This record gives sequence, C-alpha cells and structure tokens, in this order.
Amino acid sequence: MRHLSFTSRRIGVIAVGLALAGGAVACGPKSGDDAKSGSDGKPKQGGTLYVLNNQAQEDFDPARLYTSGGGNVPSLVYRTLTTRNRADGAAGSKVVPDLATTTGEPSKDATVWTYHLKDGLKYEDGSPITTADIKYDIERSFAPELSGGAPYLRDWLEGAADYQGPYKDPKGLSAIETPDAKTIVFHLNKPEGEFPLLATQTSFAPVPKAKDTGTKYAAHPVSSGPYKVISNENNGEHIVLKRNPNWSAATDDQRKAYPDTIDVQSGLDQAVINQRLSAGVGKDADAVTTDTNLGPAELAKVTGDKNLAKRVGTGHFGYTDYIAFNPKVKPFDNIKVREAIAYAVNRTTVINAQGGSSLNEPATTFLPAQASFGYTPYDPFPAGKTGDPAKAKELLKEAGYPNGLTVSLTHDVTKGDEQGPEVATAVQEALKAAGITVKLDGQEHAAFSDKIHTLKTEPGFFLTGWGADWPSGGPFLGPIFDGRQIVDNGANFNNAQLDDASVNSEIDAINKITDLKAAAVRWGALDKKIGEQALTVPLWHPVYKRLFGKNIKNVVISDWTGVLDISQVAVK
Amino acid sequence: MTRFLLRRLFQAAVVLVVLAAVLYACFYLAPGDAARLACGPKCNTAQITQIRGQMGLDDPVYVQFWHFLSGIVAGHDYSTGTDVLHCPAPCLGQSYRTGELVTTMIGQKLPATASLAFGAMVLWLVIGVGTGLLSALRRGTVTERLLTGFTLVGTATPVFITGILLLLVFCSWLQWLPYPSYVPLTEDPQQWAWNLLLAWLALALVEAAKYARLTRSSMLETLAEDHIRTFRAYGVGERAIVVRHALRGALTPVIALSALDLGTMFGGALLTETLFNIPGLGQQLVQSVQIKDVPVVVGIVLVMGLAVVVANAVADVLYAVADRRVVLA
Repeated sequence: MRHLSFTSRRIGVIAVGLALAGGAVACGPKSGDDAKSGSDGKPKQGGTLYVLNNQAQEDFDPARLYTSGGGNVPSLVYRTLTTRNRADGAAGSKVVPDLATTTGEPSKDATVWTYHLKDGLKYEDGSPITTADIKYDIERSFAPELSGGAPYLRDWLEGAADYQGPYKDPKGLSAIETPDAKTIVFHLNKPEGEFPLLATQTSFAPVPKAKDTGTKYAAHPVSSGPYKVISNENNGEHIVLKRNPNWSAATDDQRKAYPDTIDVQSGLDQAVINQRLSAGVGKDADAVTTDTNLGPAELAKVTGDKNLAKRVGTGHFGYTDYIAFNPKVKPFDNIKVREAIAYAVNRTTVINAQGGSSLNEPATTFLPAQASFGYTPYDPFPAGKTGDPAKAKELLKEAGYPNGLTVSLTHDVTKGDEQGPEVATAVQEALKAAGITVKLDGQEHAAFSDKIHTLKTEPGFFLTGWGADWPSGGPFLGPIFDGRQIVDNGANFNNAQLDDASVNSEIDAINKITDLKAAAVRWGALDKKIGEQALTVPLWHPVYKRLFGKNIKNVVISDWTGVLDISQVAVK
Repeated sequence: MTRFLLRRLFQAAVVLVVLAAVLYACFYLAPGDAARLACGPKCNTAQITQIRGQMGLDDPVYVQFWHFLSGIVAGHDYSTGTDVLHCPAPCLGQSYRTGELVTTMIGQKLPATASLAFGAMVLWLVIGVGTGLLSALRRGTVTERLLTGFTLVGTATPVFITGILLLLVFCSWLQWLPYPSYVPLTEDPQQWAWNLLLAWLALALVEAAKYARLTRSSMLETLAEDHIRTFRAYGVGERAIVVRHALRGALTPVIALSALDLGTMFGGALLTETLFNIPGLGQQLVQSVQIKDVPVVVGIVLVMGLAVVVANAVADVLYAVADRRVVLA
C-alpha cells in the first residue's frame, strides 16, 4: 500500500494557516442558510457535485489504479465483481457483491473462487458486460505498458508470476476461466480466504477488448458504473462525469448516484480548498474534498463555530505510522534496546509534531483500531502518554549500555510529511531523556523510500507507515512480517526481515479461513504475538477530518476509506 | 543582424543540448529507480524487470540520451499496447508514468504558463515602472516615502501569502471574483483574463518592487547625466526631457531584467500555479521530478531553457533599439 502523500506545499499551507488563523475567526464569511446544511435534508436527484482536490486522479485506467475498495471517483465509473459496503463506520468495512451475485463461492480449501454475474448488466453504450471482459482487464493489469496497479494477483493466480499482459502475450492467463459469459473462475496457487476483498479493486472491472486503446484508455474508458467520463484532462487533473443512462439502480444497490454531473478538479492548493469549502460561495456550496484535511486555521475555527463543525466529516482509514527496526543492524539486534526505545517514546509530542491530537490517535498496536482488522488492544511496553524514560534506562543497563548509547534515525526531509523532520525531532527529544543520543539521518523523499525498502541499504532505525489495501489483518501483517515476502531485489516492506516459521505458518493457516470474522480474531492474536518482539514501535493512527459544502446531503463515511463516499452524496 | 541571429541560434542549440545532457546525467546518478517508482508500491522483481525493459532503461545512459536526441530530429514510434503512437519530430519522448507524449503534455500546459507569465509581466511593468518613475520625480516627498514603503512590503511578502490574501479578500469576503479556474484564451478571452487577474496581481506585486527600485535609481542616474543637463540648458521642457530623453536611457536595464524574469517565470511560478488553479508547467515539473519521470522533466526544462535563451536574445535586440550605442554583431 502506498504511503499517505503529503507534498511540500504543506509547508506553505501551514505557514499561511497560522498567519490567517486569527483573522479568519474574527471576520470569516457569514454562513447563511444553515437549516438546510448537513445530512438531515432528504437527498434528491439532480445538480452538479464539485470535488476539489489537491492530488490529481492520475492513472484513471482500471488496470493501473491502485485503490482500496475500488476508490472513490473510480468506483463511479468502474463496477467490480465485489465492492465495499457503502455504510457509515464499521458496517462500511464489509465486502458486498457488485457485478457478481455473491461475494464469491470458494472451493473447500479456498484456492478456487467462482463468480456469476447479475442479469441485465450493461456498459454505457448499452452492450452487455461479460466475464471475458473482466478477465481481459485483469490481464491488462499485468502489462508493463500499464504499470502501477496492485501486485496481489501476480502472487496469487496460478502460473501468473511472469505473465506480460495481453499485448505481448495474447494467449492470456490460464488461471482464469470463463466457461460462459456470466461465469468466471479463479484458480489460485494457495488458499486465500480474503479473495472477495481483493475483488473490490479496479483490476476486477470489465474492459471490452474491442474498445481497449492501451495507454490511451484512461482518457475515454467505457463505463460500467452510474457515471460516464465526459472529459479527462491532463491525466486526471480535471475529470467531468455525467450520468450513464445504461446504468440501472436495479442491478446496483450500493451507489446512490444523486447528482447528474460530477466535476472533479485537482491540483488545488490545500489552504485554498479549505478556504473555499468553508466560505461556500456560489458553486462551492455544492463541493466536497476527498483528500484534504482541515488546516490549522479551520481546526482552530471549528471549536467555536458550530455551523462549520457540522460540515466536518470525520473518518478513520486503516493506517499505522510507526518506528521500524532492522535487527540485522547493531545495536537493534538486542531486543532490550528495541524495548527501551519503545518505552522512551513520547507519543504526545510525536502527535503534536504531526498536526495534533484531533488528526491522530496514539497507537500501541500495529493493526489499526478497527474490528475488521481484528484489532486486539495490547501495549507490551507501556510508555504512557509521554514515555517512561526511567524504565528505558533500566532496560539499556540490562542490555549492556549503562551510560546510554548513540544511534541514528533515518527519516524523510520533506517538511510536514508523516516521516518528516518534525516527527524525527520529537522522537530524538524523547529518547534523550532516556540517555539515548539520536543522530538524525534525513534523506530526500525518493532516496528515503529507496533506502528503507532496499535490503542492502536498509538502516537499523527509521520512520515509516503502512496502510490497508482492504480492511483486514491479511494485507496489513503479511507484507510486513511474512518471511516469504522479503524481497531481495525490489521494494521490500518486511522491515525487520522477520522469517519466523511459526509466524509464516499462522499466516498460511489464517489465509485458509473464508469466514472473515473468525480470521480477524486470529489476525489480532498474531499481531499481539509479533508486537511483543518489539520489531516496530507503533506511533499513531491518522484521523481524517474533511470539510464539505453547505448544500451537501447524505454524508456516508466508512471505516474502509475514512472519507465521504461520493456515490452517496446529494447536492439537492 | 542576420549574423547576430544565426550566432544566437547556434549558441542556443549548444546550451540546450548541454542542458539536456546534464539533466540525463543528474537523474542517472540520483538515487531512486524510475522503474520501481512507476511500478508502484509492492512491486516484485519480475514486474520491475518488465517495466524497465518497457521504458528502455536497460540501455546504457548514453544510448538513452542518443535515442532522445535522435527523436528530436527524426521522431519516434511508441506502442500503446493496442496500437502505434507516432511521435513526430521534434519528439521529446514519452512519459514513463503515463505513456503520454512529452510534446503533447507541454502543448497542453504551455498556454497556461505563458498566459500567467506575460500577463504578470505587463502588470509588474505598469506598476513597477509607474511607481519607480513617480518616486524618482517626486524625490523627498511623502509620495516617494509611501511608494518606497509599498515596494518594500511587496518584496517582503512571499507570493503564497499575497496570493491567499487576495483570494480571501476578493473571492471570499468581497466576492467580486469567483475562485479562479483557468479558461484558455482561445475559448473565452474575457473569462481568461478575469480568472487570471488575481494570479497576475499576486506575481506582479512581488516583482513590481524590484522594478520600481530599478526604475527609480536608473531614472535618477540618467537625470543627473551631462546630456540631460545640456538639454535643460537649451530650455527643453521638463516633460519632454523625462519622456523623450531620460526615460529611454533609464528603461534599458528594466528591459534587460524583465526579459530575464519572463524567461524564469516559465518554470518558476509553481506556488502561484497551485494557489490559482492554473494547470501550468511548474506543477507538472515538480510532480515529474518526484517520480523521476526523466523525459517529462527534460522536456519541460528544455522549454524553460529555451524561454530564457529567447528572452535574452530579445532583450539584446531591445537594448540596441533603446540605446543606439549598442551594436549587434
């Protein structure tokens, strides 16, 4: 999963936010007509919804998109075999059928998954959607011409590891069978009980082969969802969607599709997005953002302004920011040293360095604090709110460092980044109290990512984060702690280079379980077991707080995405 | 004049090729693997190898650079998977990330950047030269002090502060203008201007200060020169002295500077572009640098380089027109 991306623009945003905080409180625009605002009014069809974003909706090709649960804007255009349940909170972490009639029929050992399509499914041009088209898009996602998508199918499908995509290898993937136009069967090389959750990703959307234009497809994709693409300028910088008359609510109980038009503008400055949504002048009253948190100015303002506070959507996306250790590097081979650092960390100052407690919750578990992940509360090295330097010193003494020690912490130099210098400095300060001198090893953004994810250069002590490809323990614990997922030549995420037979076999055992609730309990227990080895120090789970316009109704925020679902929002 | 132009053209070509070579070398040496970045998170080795082949990154760097140079002269054909994408000369290559042609991408973004740069230049010249002249002619008065203060505040305020204040005042509080969203000049000239107005103003306010100071000092210097004293002695009117004689000499350095500034403006207005929602080259450049999309970076930097080179040549010509002592050779 990708890291949350913060650009260096945030520096400017923060500076301006602080500069304007005072003024904005005193003389902000008058907010009128608040009776209608919020989610109380009954939503109706019609109107135009504006989405104001910072990051462009790049790579709009379903084979290239790397989404969790099919994405927000993409899922308006691409329907998938399964999808996320469009509901508030924990209910929104469930997987439900989309194009398929069920979330999937597994074979006994969960290595074969069969899906049947619903009746009456059509593309925007009225032609029928077939399973061959779903198979075709999955094959496209293997093409090096269309790089960027999620890698799971390459690992999971039988004989797919070296497949080069349909352009170079038109024979296709033999692991996917389409015995008829409405049936599709997946043959996996190992049991995967979470296959239905993977099938929410856009590589499981249909692409008609006759309409495929390769790398140019993203500009005019063929829609299977409630909206079709009218224009896609500059690789997702400005996307205009209009209602697709061939989509039928009768086959789709998830997307509400209230607005007639959806206009997605990106590349906007984050401070400007917040200024516009808070002022709500003209069309901005019908606007939302899906990627910009409240800035310091708005955070200061919402506490005193009830009308504005009503227009803040709060959500949780499964994500953990943490300190990672590489025990192959001394002195981190010594568990007592790792434990000492875990005790010494001051989560309060760390969180303040990252925007404060309203945007971050302290974390002691590696798994996010949500039931669908199997969250099991534990705190093996209770550091309290501000750290326990005395206990840390004691452990250091036991480890053979009675006079403290000097270590270096690798971090990103991008200001405001989750792995940025502010957080690194907060860790440095906290560890000083325990007698640990931290030298900061700041790296430029791309170099940082390269260094920590390459086995040969991986440092012993660094900041990093991990997010959910779907809300379950599998994609959270697997890539980080499964010994067979250590990547020699490429991006390695198993930071601790842990290859523990008991952990590996437990992961295999859980992957066989198709009852997701039962699996979650086992993931939680595994998380606790690994947590006791002090291979990471979980720091915080981010909270999303985003403004929406005055006329926005039916705000639904699931724990799967943490942001308001565009398919549910109405402007009338 | 022809010799001057030919020589300038040759120099420009050399400068641009060297620039491209340096960029290629820098990105080759810089940390970060473009194939890995394009591949996305959690890529396995087989995938990266395939993508590296697809991007032509297996070739040695000088071969890659040679492909790039030959593309400029002869064009290139690329595969979209289902079809062939022809890139006519001058072909600057294909984005690693999206497969789009770099020339197409630049073609889409250049009008916005050019609109921003030229409009801002007109405004900063009007404001800058105007205040500069006024303060030179009203030396020692309250007017001069006020104008000096104004220019000081202008230089001291970074564009992201000026910009966000302008938006807050004109779009949010007074609501005289909508929040800008770029409209191409060819689509609707009036909307184009209204939507760019605040962006021009934000840039102009920062730049104008420099021009005001330059115009003022240069004007005062010229007014103190011997030939002006001679004109005065002959009884030429003060207005004619200022407009017909002094201004001409005083504006020479202003012209040189604005040509240079205009050139750099083609790549350096990133903050203004994001604040005012202008889909220009600056934003694209930063995005592309972050993901090591070398063809796009090289393409945009070449356009910026070209802008500076052309602006310099134009400045030299204008210099000669303004000051007849300068000979172009």
